Amino acid sequence: MGGTFDSVPSVEGNERLLVGVGLLALVIAPFVLGPFQRSKLAEVLIFGVFATAFNLLYGYTGLLSFGHGMFFAVAGYTMAKTVQTVGPMFNFGELFGGVSVLATWLVGLLLAVLVTVAVAMAIGYLAVQLEEIYFAMITLSFTMALYAVANQDIIGTVQAVLGIGNDTFTNGSDGLTFTLGQVDLFGFTFTLVDIADPMAYYFVTLVVFTVAMYLLYRIVNSPFGTVCKAIRENPERASALGIDTTRHSWVTFVLSAAFSGLAGGMLIPLFTRVTPDYAYWSFSAEPVLMTVIGGPYSFFGPLVGAFSYRYIRWFISRFEMLEAYWQFSFGVLLLLVVLFVANGIIGAPEQLREWLDSRGE
Amino acid sequence: MVNDHIRQGESGDESSGGRVNRRSFLAAAGTGTAVALAGCSGGGDDTVNIGGIYLLSGVAQALGTSSRNAARAAVDDINENGGINGKDVEITVKDHGNNPAQTIRSLVQEDNSDVLIGITSSGVGLSTAPTIESLGVPFMATDIGTPYLTEFDTDSYGDYYNSADGTAALKPNIFRSTANTSHMTYGIAKYVADNYGAMRVANMGPDYAYGEQCWEYFKAYSEGLGVDHDYVASEFPSLEANDMTPQINSVLNNDPDLVFTSFWAGDATTFISQAAEQGLFDEVEDVFDTIGADPTVYSALGDTTPEGIHMSGWYWPTAYDNEHNQAFLDKYDSMYSDANVPSIPGFTGGQTWGAVQTYKQVIESVGSLDADDIVSELEGFTFEEDPRGPITFDADSHQAQAPVTLGTTSFDADVPYDGAGLVDIQKYTITRDESLELLDGSGLGPGM
Repeated sequence: MGGTFDSVPSVEGNERLLVGVGLLALVIAPFVLGPFQRSKLAEVLIFGVFATAFNLLYGYTGLLSFGHGMFFAVAGYTMAKTVQTVGPMFNFGELFGGVSVLATWLVGLLLAVLVTVAVAMAIGYLAVQLEEIYFAMITLSFTMALYAVANQDIIGTVQAVLGIGNDTFTNGSDGLTFTLGQVDLFGFTFTLVDIADPMAYYFVTLVVFTVAMYLLYRIVNSPFGTVCKAIRENPERASALGIDTTRHSWVTFVLSAAFSGLAGGMLIPLFTRVTPDYAYWSFSAEPVLMTVIGGPYSFFGPLVGAFSYRYIRWFISRFEMLEAYWQFSFGVLLLLVVLFVANGIIGAPEQLREWLDSRGE
Repeated sequence: MVNDHIRQGESGDESSGGRVNRRSFLAAAGTGTAVALAGCSGGGDDTVNIGGIYLLSGVAQALGTSSRNAARAAVDDINENGGINGKDVEITVKDHGNNPAQTIRSLVQEDNSDVLIGITSSGVGLSTAPTIESLGVPFMATDIGTPYLTEFDTDSYGDYYNSADGTAALKPNIFRSTANTSHMTYGIAKYVADNYGAMRVANMGPDYAYGEQCWEYFKAYSEGLGVDHDYVASEFPSLEANDMTPQINSVLNNDPDLVFTSFWAGDATTFISQAAEQGLFDEVEDVFDTIGADPTVYSALGDTTPEGIHMSGWYWPTAYDNEHNQAFLDKYDSMYSDANVPSIPGFTGGQTWGAVQTYKQVIESVGSLDADDIVSELEGFTFEEDPRGPITFDADSHQAQAPVTLGTTSFDADVPYDGAGLVDIQKYTITRDESLELLDGSGLGPGM
């Protein structure tokens, strides 16, 4: 775990330029891309936030969570429930008029993050008492427990026994499907999430993405982030310096979950459906893969990983033969990254330069 | 966007017209980004593109594969007979994948499908309907049982998508060429009412929406038919369960006369073989199943299938004595007699072949590939040449008024494999008004 994150001041200008160019490209992209790719890009941006949030815990604090899918799922169900139950219950339609869809979505997103935070506080409190493989295992256990709760609709069953609701809460393995309709904002009407062509939602996503990435960047570059790295490098020493490492890890866990919840709350409306599969362990492997591919010791590594993972996955899906064996195709790629590049794709150019330098000597 | 140019090349391979390919290529070279353009060029070329989505892996693999085979047979048949309006027909069939809604988008927006068929799961059918609506392309459901999909009366049953307990989910461009669960369970309830009367009835079905809906509808129809069954047990083993013996024993302990089941594909095979081991078929008077009657199930079971139980399906190859069914069987046999699958179509065969052939007639009738025109032509359309006899798509519910078959298992059936088949096949039909009357008070919609 030879961390080499700290950026040398002289590269900062370069990094800023790259970020500027990247953002500009993201603003222009939807006008150049077709509807399918527009939606794909929005999806990738959301996964970028998810992977970066995951990496707050993994790359920065040294805690490998194998259960981040649970935050995604909790946020997704919260969003679906807000649209299907909370909105109608409080009569958002009359309350907000033309912007009721927008209001429902905003309340849904806010609740998604809040509920995720509440869940993460409880689970995180228990999880951060453990380290390394035990931490990975306990997060895995919790996500599988939540999977069972959603898949067997335990909440719905309990409600039925108590005589409230209509004996379905999560709708079992079929999950919840919902759509967000028309917004009328000062006479300007648009469909918030037009499934076939989510132009409006792309820009909503881009704004949320930019704000979330900025906040995450500020977090890792603050004294708080430095303490994270200290814990990653040497927890005993960090303790000796007077840092309450357990408490600090707990707060990091909750922060990481909050942004993961934000990502879940954003993606589910785009996909129109939440299922228990998001809490299944294999979904929690996705941010791990993205981060490993992209590079865990760099802030933008997981984002690069999310781009690579989702687009390579899409590329494979375009060929029947590759698609039939996509796990194999993907496994080979992952193997190459793990074997030959220490810090993922984002570290590859640096590594290549060092290698060329060493050959030149 | 490293992959863009590669994707462009690949998409060019798939579309048949060289004109499109070059146009897209030039545009791509001009802008330096290719992805947007391939999606805009569909429809204007010399082919009619049909997109199909089925479960081609996992528990329902045999089912999805036989639907795909029937669809390909229909496409082959159409192309041999001059195509549609003189245009060749191409079909792209994909697996559900882990995000079926995105797979459907890909079929329309990347593969330029003009019309769609498919879906092997009720849950997926309901969850992808908003996506299909948004894409606007006509969709024909060939393998889905849930009545919700074709229930339009949101006032009585609530909107499935905008309320927590609504069950009316019809979308304007979705049709169904097969009978649904409401219709199937009516057939069984009616048979039981006519032949047995009130009995001790137990239920077993897969643990998801389909299994639950079958049981609810069977009970509601039985009550509507005035049969006062004693419901002694209900067990739902999980989908793809390896071991159903605990549930089978639990059912047996309650001493039922009849067992109602809703297993299909691999689960039907598991249930029948394990129930046979536990002696279930010797202890009860009769066993019914909704959609287990399929050549792949019987050939997998070999001589294990008990004779004399009643199984139904959406389609059974020998149930229809007409030239169109014979044409379908001949075509199917000619294409798959050497393949590693039964050379007769499965229980989704008739309606899948029918769906593709219906599209041909409808597109030729409207004279274009305009989605809205095809949809409005389909409403109330009667397809005379269906293997199951003339099939009419209801103008309101978009549900095909197709018969369901209920047969008796026997080794005397004429089948091209070692195993059982169906004999003494009865067909049941029901109208929306009849269904409304029978289901009155149950809160369940007819979906037809």
